[in-house]
Amino acid sequence: MIAPRGRSSAVPARFRLGGRAPARVAEPADARELAAVLASAAAAGESIVAFGGGTLQHAGNPPQRYDVAVRTTHLKDVHDYDPRDLTCGAGAGLTLAALARTLAEHRQFLPLDAPLPRDATLGGTLAAGWAGPRRAAYGRPRDLVIGATVALADGTLAASGGMVVKNVTGYDMAKLYVGSHGTLGLFARVNFKLLPAPALQRFATSRFDDEVRDRLIAHVGALTIPPTALLLRDAFTAPADPEARSDAAEIVALFEGSEASVERAIRDYRSALGAAGVAETRLCDGDAARSAFQAVLDAYVATPATSFTLLGRGLPSRAPERAARVRAAMQHSTAEAAGAAHGWETITDLLTGDVVARFGCRTPSAVEEATAACAAMRDALGSAQLIAAADALWPHLDAWGPPPATLATMRALKTRFDPAGVLAPGRFVGGI
Amino acid sequence: MASFASRLIDALGPDVVRTEPEDLAVYGFDAYSDNTLPSAVIVPGTAREVAAGVRIARECGEPIVPRGAGTGLCGGAVPARGGMVVSFARMNRVLELDVRNRRARVQPGLINLELSQAVAAHGIFYAPDPSSQKISTIGGNVGTNAGGPHCLSYGTTTNHVLGVEYVDGEGTIHRTSIDDAGYDLTGVLVGSEGTLGIVTEVDVRLLALPEEVRVCVAAFPEVESASEAVSAIIAAGLVPTALEIMDALITRAVEAHYHAGYPENAGAVLLVEIAGTHDDVASGESALERIARAHGALSWRAARDQVERDALWAARKGAAGAIGRIAPNYYIQDACVPRTRLPEVMHAIEGIARDHALPVGNVFHAGDGNLHPLLIFDRRERRQVEAVVDAGTEILRTCIAMGGTISGEHGIGYEKRETLSLVFSTDDLAAMGRVREVFDPLRGLNPDKIFPSGALCGEVGVRAGERSAAPA
Repeated sequence: MIAPRGRSSAVPARFRLGGRAPARVAEPADARELAAVLASAAAAGESIVAFGGGTLQHAGNPPQRYDVAVRTTHLKDVHDYDPRDLTCGAGAGLTLAALARTLAEHRQFLPLDAPLPRDATLGGTLAAGWAGPRRAAYGRPRDLVIGATVALADGTLAASGGMVVKNVTGYDMAKLYVGSHGTLGLFARVNFKLLPAPALQRFATSRFDDEVRDRLIAHVGALTIPPTALLLRDAFTAPADPEARSDAAEIVALFEGSEASVERAIRDYRSALGAAGVAETRLCDGDAARSAFQAVLDAYVATPATSFTLLGRGLPSRAPERAARVRAAMQHSTAEAAGAAHGWETITDLLTGDVVARFGCRTPSAVEEATAACAAMRDALGSAQLIAAADALWPHLDAWGPPPATLATMRALKTRFDPAGVLAPGRFVGGI
Repeated sequence: MASFASRLIDALGPDVVRTEPEDLAVYGFDAYSDNTLPSAVIVPGTAREVAAGVRIARECGEPIVPRGAGTGLCGGAVPARGGMVVSFARMNRVLELDVRNRRARVQPGLINLELSQAVAAHGIFYAPDPSSQKISTIGGNVGTNAGGPHCLSYGTTTNHVLGVEYVDGEGTIHRTSIDDAGYDLTGVLVGSEGTLGIVTEVDVRLLALPEEVRVCVAAFPEVESASEAVSAIIAAGLVPTALEIMDALITRAVEAHYHAGYPENAGAVLLVEIAGTHDDVASGESALERIARAHGALSWRAARDQVERDALWAARKGAAGAIGRIAPNYYIQDACVPRTRLPEVMHAIEGIARDHALPVGNVFHAGDGNLHPLLIFDRRERRQVEAVVDAGTEILRTCIAMGGTISGEHGIGYEKRETLSLVFSTDDLAAMGRVREVFDPLRGLNPDKIFPSGALCGEVGVRAGERSAAPA
């Protein structure tokens, strides 16, 4: 057997997950080393958790066992990027920001829409099954992956797909690995199809009053040229001084395309807002628009010390209603909290149907308050997964809720791919 | 113990079960030439009937082969080991339409084109449009992850399937959704060619019809320059909704049959569709025309109206059929290369056909790098048949060597299963085999498809060699 050459080092605190620290951190230099690390760890019965940028580690349960953190930092080269093909392959440890910089040089982009792109890696973003607001326009990350090489628990490297944009050669294995939270294997490299960058990006922000909400939703829902992202943000904060409490609601939209189309879309959008009684809209273009949109994405996983965040998926037409229900549930959960700082926030994605709800507890260790609120919020959302949580609360929260009816098939897949159960044990749905 | 056929009839009734030899003969082949008769055919009306049939087949040790319209070109619907064919001819309805959320729940036997027609009044459509869309079914499209000309900007079937209901190899009904927590079972079922489950319902994503659609035709002196134009268009970051090439042989055959208005004397024609806002279509057309002319386009013309557009598309999608008028037999290959390699691969294909003394026609989804060389032969001439097989394999090897792959949209089926090991290593195939074992441990679902013989049995029959230069 090949000895793993992955460098190990003393374990820094940031590798702790849910109160557990790994015995070591392995940092394989390339895909072969990654596979060798898995092979030797599995042979020794050690449990493995993949670590990219650590930005979505709370999206899931803490691992039940955790011996080795496998950092993908060194798997960061861009392979086979010929801009003329509109495709590229990259190591799983490459950060989204680094890839975006490379692609931007050729006026191309990859709309993965993940939070914290300076830290977030390709492998981590895909493993977490992240799918952001622009998926209605550009497809989900799963739809942009055209090939993947994954290190499996037995130390083999398995490839699927390729470097072409249309491919039905063999099973589409990448679909299984995307969103598997490192429980079936670890991404070594991924191939993507890319998109030409839009000529113009314009970001629009408008505050609105609650009484115009329904009209606003109806008007922006009827736009001929929809934006590529359209979100409502609601926040309620109650500082210790009850007089200072505040509500805030805003609608944000990102428009992308040719100058002519964006200009026209913005005109339509502003008149839709005007018809709903929303007068003022702040606009920004280019870098400022990208930063403003990224700030919204970052907010999905922002974790003030006492909070946790659920993300529920569902039909776009029902998203406002689910968001209203979850706000009511959170308001109810905070009703007893007068006199202590707390608050909540929701993001309602009118195009994809995602509803994100963050609940801020009164104290960092308010475990009972958090678990009760989590259950009430999940009821309101229909189904929802945890995407962020304060460390103190995380181990007490149910990250997934009730598993789908296909759990037996999922368990069988897990057993077949990882018979010893060493990959991210307990992180996934139904305790997988 | 009662026979397989009589058990099926007892459980499902005589209307659902076909066992007469003349009935079975129809299900022995698909658009790929082969002929292995099934023992029985069922034509169920519900998922429960499918499940009941599967359970009986399993108890009797009979393989199960799902079948849509039988338009597959790789033998995916051929009952390679006999057994039971499940025809979806009766399960052909739109069950639910949600216009606001642009989704529909449909039965697998629904004909692809009928879905778009059924929803068109609401200003929406179903994007994947294989050339066979007038007869092929949504279920069959799901099986092969079918493509089509408009996949260039809209993506293939897998990008438009939101969930499925399927019957597993033991006769249990499951439902999946890409929004469910857990593994993306939908994603791996699409394109699995009936080897993981039998899809009995499909939740599809629908798209808003664009404000304007423009279809343009450019004439080129030969296929290479048309291919260079396509490579240049993609390299310029322009992704129209379709970029299709037909060479002279195909164009002449198509025009003789359809009179759609393609330039008959061109060495190749490029069919371009641009969709979007009025502004984007207008500016898109001028940018595309500029690139086309810079790469040797002799003419550029936009269809005047929908009638002309429809005629151009009908002719393009009927190209394979039109070839039937001029060729005794043809063999259509399906392969994919990175788009920068198009001119080079087209040149190589011409050389391969010449070396084997075979006429070749090319009609393909150039924008996707998805090739469809048609090798023309006479099946009564044994040497020509051998030449076609050799040339086909050589074309696939050439595409692999250029970083491409052996099927862009038709599937692997029966035809290409031994070729799969040219693309994937033993370890790659073993991972796929694990999925197969989980979904269908008894391997009763569409046996002898996709996997090279021996690959699933732990035999050392698969070589790792000859990987593409850029494996995934």
